[in-house]
Amino acid sequence: MKITDAAVYPYPLGDASVRRLALEAAALGFDSIVAADTPSGTYAGVEVRSGLMIRDLPVKDVISTVKRAKDFGRVISVNASNNNFNRAVIGIKGVHILRGIQLADKLAFDHVAAKMAADNRVAVDIDLSLIIHARSVVRQRAIHRYMDILVLEQRFEFPVTLSTHARSLLDLRNVRDIAGLCSLIGMDVPDVERALAGVGTILTPLQPSVQVIA
Amino acid sequence: MSVRPPTLREKRRYILVRIEPAGTLLEQKELYYAILDATTTLWGDATAAIITPAVVALEHGHVIVRCRRGTERELSIALSTVTACRDLRICLRIIAASGTMESLRSRFRPKKLPKTKSVPGPDAVLQPEVPATGAGSGTEPVQQECTFAKKTFVVLQCNSQKVDVIEKGFKNTNRLFLTKDDLEDLNATTISDRI
Repeated sequence: MKITDAAVYPYPLGDASVRRLALEAAALGFDSIVAADTPSGTYAGVEVRSGLMIRDLPVKDVISTVKRAKDFGRVISVNASNNNFNRAVIGIKGVHILRGIQLADKLAFDHVAAKMAADNRVAVDIDLSLIIHARSVVRQRAIHRYMDILVLEQRFEFPVTLSTHARSLLDLRNVRDIAGLCSLIGMDVPDVERALAGVGTILTPLQPSVQVIA
Repeated sequence: MSVRPPTLREKRRYILVRIEPAGTLLEQKELYYAILDATTTLWGDATAAIITPAVVALEHGHVIVRCRRGTERELSIALSTVTACRDLRICLRIIAASGTMESLRSRFRPKKLPKTKSVPGPDAVLQPEVPATGAGSGTEPVQQECTFAKKTFVVLQCNSQKVDVIEKGFKNTNRLFLTKDDLEDLNATTISDRI
């Protein structure tokens, strides 16, 4: 099980280099990070996975972008939009994570989308930056949406990932802090551990429970 | 008014926190307001009154925050939502919790080296004292300026692999967090496509 931060933004998107983020992530208890627009590699014992964040594109363009990118072993994530878009994106082979569900409209992720996500092993991302940085109504709405998503997760068992969306060292949080923040949305420690291992889960190919030998 | 006996006083706990980025100068009162604001916005007035957070010490880049016993979890979650003090971006990293301040102080106070008595001979020449350098002291002799993305930066802080820089001049004063490897790569003529 690899404890992973599912989205960080190194320089030039943020103010820290990917090496420094990896160094800090190691000190904070992470085994790997998903860094946007960065080549993969390992630094200070932390595996840096290359991430591709797709946003504000129609479904047709998302399909072509995913086709081009999926052979390079990148972690592909798409920003959520309305319900039809989300269902279409979840059905695309090669998409790993659906992000920004807390900013989409209320009915954007329903039980049908949850069932599809579970079947296609597409993770739903929980963005902790809103809980850390936002105040009052924005944070309350985000907590409410995450609690709603976790109800569906317990019913349909689709993968969940946790991300800090750190653009700086100062935005990273250690694993214990993340567990504390996740307790605000009703996640207990085993849930948090499963979610932190979510990126590893979706990238590991499924092995059939029954193997036909002859 | 007489002081309450220890058995009648409310039980308290102390949380040791490290301030990042290193070298940030803060005032105790401002930090208290930042922590109180974070606690109140997250838990509300009623719970913040139960937690009763207080900044009791600010020294060597570390803070000791006091709370009521049993509310350490709530306070530590609130501390992880502190993102700024005054207009400075900061981050509070929780190190430990304890029932006494003294045990927390022993965690960050520099340990005194045992003194060795040596009597200089008659021919001995007195050398000027050299400040301690290296990973333990947090400062290392480094180049004061470096080039990064075709811009000149001034080194603010250097601790083992970690290098904090700030752009030279007065227009852009954002801190960049780099490593020594980054500076070696970026000062080289070619930039490799690996990490």
